[in-house]
Amino acid sequence: MNKARILVVEDDAPVRNLITLTLKAHEYVYITASTGESAVLEAASHNPDIVLLDLGLPDIDGVEVIERIRSWSNMPIIVISARSEDTDKIRALDAGADDYLTKPFSVDELLARLRVTQRRLALLEASSPGESFYVNGQLRIDYAAGCVTLDGQELHLTPIEYKLLCLMARNTGKVLTHTFITRSIWGSSWDNDIASLRVFMATLRRKLESGPDAPQYIQTHVGVGYRMLKVE
Amino acid sequence: MMPKETAADRAGGEHILACLSSSPSNARIMHTASKMAAAFRGSFTALYVQTPGSRSMSASDRERLHANMRLAENLGADIAVVEGEDVVEQIAEFVRVSGITILVLGRSSTSRRHIWSPPPLSERIREQTPDIDVHIIPDPASDSDYRERRVYLPGQILSGVSDVLIMGVILTLVTVLGSLFLRLHFAEYNITPVYILGVLLISVFTRGYACSVIGAVLSVVLFNFFLTEPRFTFHAYGSGYPVTFAIMLATAIITGTLANRLKDQIKLSAQAAYRSKILFDTDQLLSKAHGEEEILQVTAEQLRKLLGCGVAVYPERDGRLGDCVFYSLPDEPSRPDPGEEERKVADWALHSRNKAGASTEVFPDASFLFLPVVIRSHAYGVIAVDCRGISLDVPFDSVLLSIVGECALAIESYRNHKEKEEAAVRARNEQLRADLLRAISHDLRTPLTSISGNADNLLRSGNEMDAETRTQVYRDIYEDAQWLISLVENLLAISRIREGKMELRLSPQPVAEVLEEALLHVRGRGHALRIDRTDLSDGGEKLLMARMDAKLVIQVIINLADNAVKYTPAGTEILIGACRRGPEILIHVTDTGPGIPDEDKPYVFDMFYTGRNSVADSRRSLGLGLSLCRSIVRAHGGELTLRDNDPHGCIFEFTLPAEEVMLHE
Repeated sequence: MNKARILVVEDDAPVRNLITLTLKAHEYVYITASTGESAVLEAASHNPDIVLLDLGLPDIDGVEVIERIRSWSNMPIIVISARSEDTDKIRALDAGADDYLTKPFSVDELLARLRVTQRRLALLEASSPGESFYVNGQLRIDYAAGCVTLDGQELHLTPIEYKLLCLMARNTGKVLTHTFITRSIWGSSWDNDIASLRVFMATLRRKLESGPDAPQYIQTHVGVGYRMLKVE
Repeated sequence: MMPKETAADRAGGEHILACLSSSPSNARIMHTASKMAAAFRGSFTALYVQTPGSRSMSASDRERLHANMRLAENLGADIAVVEGEDVVEQIAEFVRVSGITILVLGRSSTSRRHIWSPPPLSERIREQTPDIDVHIIPDPASDSDYRERRVYLPGQILSGVSDVLIMGVILTLVTVLGSLFLRLHFAEYNITPVYILGVLLISVFTRGYACSVIGAVLSVVLFNFFLTEPRFTFHAYGSGYPVTFAIMLATAIITGTLANRLKDQIKLSAQAAYRSKILFDTDQLLSKAHGEEEILQVTAEQLRKLLGCGVAVYPERDGRLGDCVFYSLPDEPSRPDPGEEERKVADWALHSRNKAGASTEVFPDASFLFLPVVIRSHAYGVIAVDCRGISLDVPFDSVLLSIVGECALAIESYRNHKEKEEAAVRARNEQLRADLLRAISHDLRTPLTSISGNADNLLRSGNEMDAETRTQVYRDIYEDAQWLISLVENLLAISRIREGKMELRLSPQPVAEVLEEALLHVRGRGHALRIDRTDLSDGGEKLLMARMDAKLVIQVIINLADNAVKYTPAGTEILIGACRRGPEILIHVTDTGPGIPDEDKPYVFDMFYTGRNSVADSRRSLGLGLSLCRSIVRAHGGELTLRDNDPHGCIFEFTLPAEEVMLHE
C-alpha cells in the first residue's frame, strides 16, 4: 500500500528535505518541485498519486496550481500553509484541494494525512459510480432504501442529517468547507446556514459517535469545515 | 488673481488704511494706498463703514462698491467692514483698535459741500485721532458732483403713505387735545409741549427724518391756525408769537431728529447684537461639535440662520472635494442644491484657497458664493452660500467670514486633536509591542540555545554519544521546538490586538466541539486530561452553543490547560467542562493540584508574571498566557476568574454569551 507516488512541491529546502526524508523512511516514492510552474509540469508528466503542495511558492499562487491541475485531473492535493489565517486554506479547499496541513506540522500529522488520502483513493477505486451502498466501519448507508445503520442498528436521522451524511460519505477523506456544504444542502451560504450546519453536524456526530469508545467518523476543522474519516 | 497677502505676512511697521466707498474715485484711493503700502513695506487694510443709509443704496452704487472692494482685495488689502451711524467715529475707532498709522482719504470727503455742512471728514478724523498721518488724494473735477444717491423702493413709498397717515392722526389728536386745553382755559404754555410730544411720537412711529421735520413745521402751522388768537387764521396778535413759533419749531425739529437717530442706533445695535449672538452661538456650538461633519453642519446651519438663504458644504477628503451636503431653508426644501457645474467652482475654491462664484470675479455666473474654509493656507472644505434671490449686503460680510474662519479653526483643532489621540494610541501600542517583543525575544533565546546547541552536538559528535544520551538530546530538541510552537500560537492571538482592541470573528459554535479541538493541542506530562461531559450532553436536545471567535477561545482553553499541566505534578487530573448559566455559557478548567496561594492570586493575570511555584518549569514561562486569556475573554464580554477547588487545586472559569441558533431545515 505504501507504494503511492507523491509529488512534493515546496520551495524551502529544509522543509522539503524533512518531507522527503519522512517519505523515504516510510517507503513512499516521491518526486519534487520547487516552483509552481514546474509543479504543474511534473504533475502532468508523472501523474503522481498525491500532491503535497506548499501554498507560498515563489512564482505563482498555490491556488492557481490547484486550479490548473484540477483542469485535467482529480488527483488528491494536500496543501501546506504557513499562515494561521483560515482564508487561504478555505480558498485552496474551495479550489479543489482535498486536505490541508498547517506549519509547523509534525511528522505524524503528515503521515496521518497521507494515510487518510490513500484510504480515500482506495475507496474510490473499490466503489463503482453506481454503487448503492456505502460502508465505512460500522456505518452503512443504503442509498436505494435511504436508510442508515450503525453496527446493524438503524439510525433515525432527519432528512437534513441524512443529506449531510450522504454528502460527507461521498467525499470521505476530503475536507469540505462550510461554504461547500451549505451550498450543497441549502443552495445558499448565509451566516445563519453555517450556524445551522454546526448544530446539525453536532447532533449528527452525537448519533454516529454515541459511546465514549466509539470511533470518530466526522472530524471538525474549526473555522474551516468537516471531514468524514474512513474508519478501518 | 494675485496671491493674497495678509497683514500678518508682512513685517513692515506701517499700517495703511483706506476707506471704501461707492464713489468712482475710490479706485484711485485704493491704488494710491496700495502703492504707499508697497513703498513703506507696510500692510494695507480697506475699510467699509456700513451706515443705516447704505442699505438703500442704488444698484449702480452697489455695483461700484463691490468693484472697489474686489479691486482693494486684488491690490492685497485686508477687507474690513464695520457698522455704525457716524462714519467718522467708526473710522477713528477702527484706527485706534487696529493700530493704523497712515490714513488715506479722497478729496471729495474732505471739502465742504455747503457752508453749513459739518466740518470735513479729514478734519474730524484728525481731531479724534491726532497721532496718525492723514494723506489726502486730489480728486479729479469730474467726480466733484458725485453723491451717494438713495433710491426709494416701492415698499418705501408704501410705507411713506402709512407714515403720512400716522402723522395726520397724531397731529389731529394733538390739535383736538390743544383745543380741549383752550376750552378748559389752560395757559398757552401747556399747549406747546403737547405739540412737541406729538412730533416726538411722529418720530417714533414713522421712518426717516422727513416725517419728523414736516411734522414739526405742520404743528407750528396748526398751532397758529387753530389755537392762537385770532383762531382759524394764520395771523397772530401777540407780539411774542413769532418767538414762540421759532422756538417751538426748533425744539420740535431737534426732538424729532434725536428720536430718529436713537431709533437708528437701536436698530444698528440690535443688528450688531444679533450678529454677535450668532457668532457667540456658533462659537459655542462649534466647541461642542464632534467631528468634521458636525462642525460643517453647525457652520452651515448658523450661516443659514444669519443670511436667510440655503447653504451647502463640501468637506475636504484627503485633499479632494467631498460630497456636497445642502442645507436648504425649511420653507423651501425643494430648492436645488449646487449641481455638477457648481461643483467645479467649489473645486476651484478649494484648490486655489480663494473665494469664487457669485459676486466674485471668478465664475461670477454661478448661483452660489463659494468660500474656502481656510486656515494657515490649508483648506478644510468649501462653504457655498446660495445667492439666488438674495443679495448679500456687503459681499464678504465680516460676520460671514468670521464664521467661516471659526469653522476652519474648529476643524483644524479637531484634526490636531485627533492626530494627537492617534499618536497616543500608537505610542501605547508601540509600548505594548516593545514590551512583548522584549519578553518574547528573551524567552525565545532559551529554547533556541538548546535546539541549536543540541543539534550542533549531534552534528559534531553524534556518533560518539551512546544511544541513551542521543535519545535525550533528540527529546530536548523536540520539546523545545514544541514549546516554540505553542509560543507562536499565542503570538498569533496577540497580533489580533489592534488599536488596543482585540479583533473578533464571532460565530455560534458548539461548545463541546471547541473543547474537543482544544484538548487535541494540550500535551500532558502524564496528566489525566479529559472533558467533563456531564453538563455538555445530557438529554438528546441540549446542545450548548456559544457566540465566540473559535480560534481565540480554543487558544484560551489550551493556555489554561497548559497552565494546569505546567503547575501541577504529573498524574494530576485536569477536567475541562462547560455548563449553561442563564444567558451565558460557563467554561471551566479544573485541576486537583496544589492550588495557588492567596497572596499570588491577584497577580496571576498580570503580564509576564510567572509565579514562584517550584513545580513550574520556570525557564519556559512567558507569563503571557493568562494575561492574554483574560484579554480574549474580556473582548468577548465575559470575565476570567480563578477560585480554589475543593479540597485543593484551582478552577479557572470564564463566561461566553450563549447562542440560540434558528435551525434552517
